[in-house]
Amino acid sequence: MIGRIAWVLALAGGVVLVFITVVTDASIIGRALIALGLRPIQGDFEIVETGTAFAIFSFMPWCQFNRGHASVDIFTSRLPPVVLRVFDLVVDAAFAVVITVLVWRMGVGLADKYANHQTTFILQVPVWWTYAGGMVGAVAWVTVSYYCLVESVVCVIKGVDHRVSLRSEI
Amino acid sequence: MSPFELGLWSFPIVLAMIFARVPIGLAMLVAGIVGSYLVLGSWNPMLAQLKAVTVTTFSTYSLSIIPLFLLMGEFATLGGLSSALFRSSEKILGHYRGGVAMAAIGACAAFGAICGSSLATAATMGRVALPELRTHGYSSALATGALAAGGTLGILIPPSVVLVIYAILTEQNIAKLFVSAFVPGILAAIGYMIAISIYVRLNPNSAGRREKAPLAERLRAMSDIWPVLLIFGLVVGGIYAGWFTPTEGAAVGAAGTGILAFANGGMTREKLLQAFLATALTTAMIFFIIFGAQIYNSFLALSQFPRVIAAVIAGQGLNPWVVLVAVLLMYLVLGCLMDSLSMILLTIPIIYPIMTGFDYGLAPEEFSIWFGILVLIVVEVGLITPPVGLNLFVINSMSKDTPLSATYRGVIPFVTADVIRTAILVAFPVITLFLVRLLSG
Repeated sequence: MIGRIAWVLALAGGVVLVFITVVTDASIIGRALIALGLRPIQGDFEIVETGTAFAIFSFMPWCQFNRGHASVDIFTSRLPPVVLRVFDLVVDAAFAVVITVLVWRMGVGLADKYANHQTTFILQVPVWWTYAGGMVGAVAWVTVSYYCLVESVVCVIKGVDHRVSLRSEI
Repeated sequence: MSPFELGLWSFPIVLAMIFARVPIGLAMLVAGIVGSYLVLGSWNPMLAQLKAVTVTTFSTYSLSIIPLFLLMGEFATLGGLSSALFRSSEKILGHYRGGVAMAAIGACAAFGAICGSSLATAATMGRVALPELRTHGYSSALATGALAAGGTLGILIPPSVVLVIYAILTEQNIAKLFVSAFVPGILAAIGYMIAISIYVRLNPNSAGRREKAPLAERLRAMSDIWPVLLIFGLVVGGIYAGWFTPTEGAAVGAAGTGILAFANGGMTREKLLQAFLATALTTAMIFFIIFGAQIYNSFLALSQFPRVIAAVIAGQGLNPWVVLVAVLLMYLVLGCLMDSLSMILLTIPIIYPIMTGFDYGLAPEEFSIWFGILVLIVVEVGLITPPVGLNLFVINSMSKDTPLSATYRGVIPFVTADVIRTAILVAFPVITLFLVRLLSG
């Protein structure tokens, strides 16, 4: 269930990336063909920025769920599995704490931006929209981090390894 | 402890966490948050900073180039472009001694022009070229060694995500860095081909022969490569000429590669989903490291450590060239252990101010470009240096009957070529810089 949400969000982020690509390319073509009466898309940079923020926050739960964060395991690969499971538990606990703080502060930031009616420079769109868009992925990110923590606790107690990582080659 | 001492000690602590398998971004993030608290004696400044810094980092215009380049690379990887490039390259080069291995290098170079990742290039080309190399009687040592080395061209030949990060950290022009990386990248490909040529003459049994393709077929093969060259030229040339921003260039490249992948018939619905998921995973991984590095670097700046240590080292009267070689050796060792992106994010904020304090007879901007390219090359050598190079593991795991020791043996000629090339580029900065000098008139 949790994995499915992360999967859907990752795909939604991918669709937004394609949308950013199309908007940017259309804007370049418009700028190149001003002589023919076309023009660049107003505020294309702002669309790119808001879209990128949404996409990256939406990608975070998928990466977290697949334990896809880059790490160095050369020095620890010989350690017994029991020790590694405890390591994983500590890391997942730290992740849960840190991500909770990040998303809590981001929520406060969202409330600030909502209250002060700040808008973007060109499109005059409220800045809190960007925060709200990112919040979708961010809330899922916190949830996934708790899910991973629980999973690690279970792994330590039962003495089993994590489900096979879906991590693809980078 | 003084802020300076906190900054000084934070670095070995971060490294220790990383080597204990703590994810790299998390290690830097935690060190940055705790370090800032210790310097300032209060959590409040950090909590205030965190209200906006996630959103502003993830919505930075100059960083939005990264997911777009990654998407472009995934389209290239999943769209079947690798096999088209290899087939063409094999028709052109295959009949020479060691020619199929040279073709693999050539195809890696071409693939690197639309993909910015070493491991992806090694893995994709490996899947296509390994079976061909074995059918034509190439030894497993040569086949795996050549492909592991060829993979490093993915990051050397622009577009390259690592160069984008270096450019942002050191406030350099991305287009000029891309242009400067081009000549060393081509030199790398030529150096690898020479290494193959010498290797097969010394070990005649390591490679089979293959008859020459007819001229018409070779010409047709060349014409198959042009769409990739067109995309590469449009992206890098367009950014350099100022037709569009680097991010816009990446959008052009992603669209071009996506259309090419569809035209090739390689882009099914299934593959498109895979491309999105792979982009999601890598993008999230990279941005979490960038975010961690940003918090860690704001702590370092607070501690004044990079500024003070740079001043101290500059006052020692050291020989600049000895310092440069020492720094490059350090990167070579770290490059064996860590991926290039994390390493650059972790070390450049400390190393770069130190290096700019030395005089190498270059203008500041030229020094920054030259140093960036050298670091990139050395880091990539780390990817194929036994016993821990990541590319070696990737390729070796794809060739089930090959012992790792054979891959280690097979990669030695390529590491040798890399070392010679690096020495030449260190001794003659002009090789890296002449193209950018020529173009900026």
